[in-house]
Amino acid sequence: MELIDTDIRPWSAEEVKEQFGDSLSLLPSNDNIKELQTILRDKNTTRSDFKFYADRLIRLVIEESLNNLPFTDCEVVTPTGALYKGLKYGAGNCGVSIVRSGEAMEQGLRDCCRSIRIGKILVESDTDTHEAHVVYAKFPEDIARRQVLLMYPIMSTGNTVKQAVNVLTQHGVKEERIILSNLFCTPAAAQAVVEYVPRLKILTSELHPVAPNHFGQKYFGTD
Amino acid sequence: MAGKLNKFETPSSASSDSDTELALELSEQVFLDEEDYSRAPASPTTVPNVRSYRPPSTGSNIAKSPRARRVRTASMSQSTKRTAAESILHADRRTIYTAGRPPWYNCTGGQEVEPFLIGICGASASGKTTVAAKIIESLNIPWVTIVSMDSFYKVLNEKQHVAAERNEYNFDHPDAFDMELLVKVLQRLREGKKVEVPIYNYVTHSRESRTKTMYGANVIIFEGILAFYNADVVRMLDMKVFVDTDADIRLARRLRRDIVQRGRDLEGVLKQYMTYVKPAYQNYIAPCMAHADIIVPRGGENKVAIQLIVQHVHKQLQLEAHIGQPLPDSLYVLKDTPQVQGLHTFIRNKDTSRDEFIFYSKRLMRLVIEFALSLLPYSHLHVDTPQGFIYQGRKCDVEKICGVSILRAGETMEQAVCDVCKDIRIGKILIQTNQQTDEPELYYLRLPKDIKDYRVILMDATVATGAAAIMAIRVLLDHDVPEHNISLVSLLMAEIGVHSIAYAFPQVKIVTSALDPEINEKFYVLPGIGNFGDRYFGTEPPYDE
Repeated sequence: MELIDTDIRPWSAEEVKEQFGDSLSLLPSNDNIKELQTILRDKNTTRSDFKFYADRLIRLVIEESLNNLPFTDCEVVTPTGALYKGLKYGAGNCGVSIVRSGEAMEQGLRDCCRSIRIGKILVESDTDTHEAHVVYAKFPEDIARRQVLLMYPIMSTGNTVKQAVNVLTQHGVKEERIILSNLFCTPAAAQAVVEYVPRLKILTSELHPVAPNHFGQKYFGTD
Repeated sequence: MAGKLNKFETPSSASSDSDTELALELSEQVFLDEEDYSRAPASPTTVPNVRSYRPPSTGSNIAKSPRARRVRTASMSQSTKRTAAESILHADRRTIYTAGRPPWYNCTGGQEVEPFLIGICGASASGKTTVAAKIIESLNIPWVTIVSMDSFYKVLNEKQHVAAERNEYNFDHPDAFDMELLVKVLQRLREGKKVEVPIYNYVTHSRESRTKTMYGANVIIFEGILAFYNADVVRMLDMKVFVDTDADIRLARRLRRDIVQRGRDLEGVLKQYMTYVKPAYQNYIAPCMAHADIIVPRGGENKVAIQLIVQHVHKQLQLEAHIGQPLPDSLYVLKDTPQVQGLHTFIRNKDTSRDEFIFYSKRLMRLVIEFALSLLPYSHLHVDTPQGFIYQGRKCDVEKICGVSILRAGETMEQAVCDVCKDIRIGKILIQTNQQTDEPELYYLRLPKDIKDYRVILMDATVATGAAAIMAIRVLLDHDVPEHNISLVSLLMAEIGVHSIAYAFPQVKIVTSALDPEINEKFYVLPGIGNFGDRYFGTEPPYDE
């Protein structure tokens, strides 16, 4: 127990706000979410549990990410004949997953937006230089005029995401119209991405100095 | 009407009368207050009013009239024959519990909202009961307790009993009432506690061994001829209503009732009136008017006055419930994010197709179930990570958790709870409203074995009055599930339902994704979702328009 390093701990929402302003937001935390994160962190978690609880956390992160999409006020009539003041989400959104781990989040998005278009980007890192370059990208044709929900669960350096954003901007997507959905992020990666594309919005469930890099392998069972 | 009139024909029978305190029909209001003017102690008409209340001054000539025996037909006196169902009042299609919350509503719970205590004072035959009934009818509140001062007559000793037999005992005098007990009972009711109200037997002039059980309620109405006589009682009353009906009308009502319906002779009725009833009014009842907040002339037919009273009570209750006593601590509302609002917009819109209704309500259910899980107790847990450091995490303390759905709409939430809790056990409760009595009844129950060891997530899609949820909670408690182990989870709740549930079961966690302010006369939440079960399962009746 004495081995616990008190510096290796997640950032609080206040610390995140102070450091990153509105560029990065945390999924509002509660004990339930912390338990999900604990199970994903635990090296003794079985694969079946890992996938089950990862999917639950992904669903919550996706739901929270959707809050960043544009909406307009609207009024509807309820079956009781009363007026309800609600919100309407605009059309013209799409998801983009970064292969491979980003694809783990596709189902979560599908569960929330049934027929949403989903593009893919494959970014490969050079094992020696850690430099990332895009190998493959396929998007909906009109992606330039869409809001993009970029999905990538684990960020440790931010290089992959920077390259993915590059590809998107090359396809005409405006930086401020990209929302990055993320499960675990390191402060270094967050800093790198925010500096690179300051108007992009990042949503993560935890900002922590150590990223659970085993995520993709354990989720897909290729470890 | 004929059926009712027949019951009045036997003046000596104290228990045969109908339960007219609960009758709401306007046409019957003339007879509503019979418990006051049916008293038959009488004395010579010549005795001056001021002295007439003194027992020694009462003559005995009234004994000549065989019908002049003291007659009690007050509704309270029939409690012996009354079943639980009879203390339930039906106005339109609403059910009002006039004995406060029915037994299964009463639990270990503490008081959350202080009841509003209305005192109604007025002369005999002035129409107090009609006014009380009309107030209840217009209040639209599920739980009301009516306390009649008649229940608090003193037990008579042998000598007094004989005097009463000869109609020489003054029942209109303040000394005839057990004020001490009355104050105690009102005090307890005001604190929301269960009380045993005595049942007075007007034949033996003693209290029966049985008592009438009353429970705390949102509104307590206390009525009686001397309702404002005792200073302690007056202090407790939140609102004091004096029903002021002209003396000639009151006398006319007594004459009509006692002579036409009870076959008594004119002389006896008049003597009784002059000896006891009229002096009591002048000496004790009329001075009470000074305490009144509002004086209602013409009794129950004064619609404007009753409307004013109802409005005031509503306002006070709302102040108490929503400002003075804010929403209960046991209520947890899902954070109102744009997505949650967007989902609500879909499912509340009457033009949403069923396909979309199901899809979007399921998304909302998932969120609300995840939220409900976050409210369970957790403790710290340190785990080893593949990255070699120790992660300080959390673990839910609850080992056994199960879902219980309230049929039919609650079942729609089962999938969501199964999606987040692996291999969760699901119980079911079917509660239906009995079409005859409008009472919720338990039709079907399947619960996991040893449910007492489980943390229970009780599911119902919408909560309007909270009646079904309260009954379901009661069923769980009967199966030894501790109250604090129950979470009631719903997509939409009405505030009145939340207050009712929290009032009855303060330890139950109430979790919802939205709180609506009102319910309409069909018990649908406003603005609401409509009938959730019908829309989800596609069984809605065809449109009338």
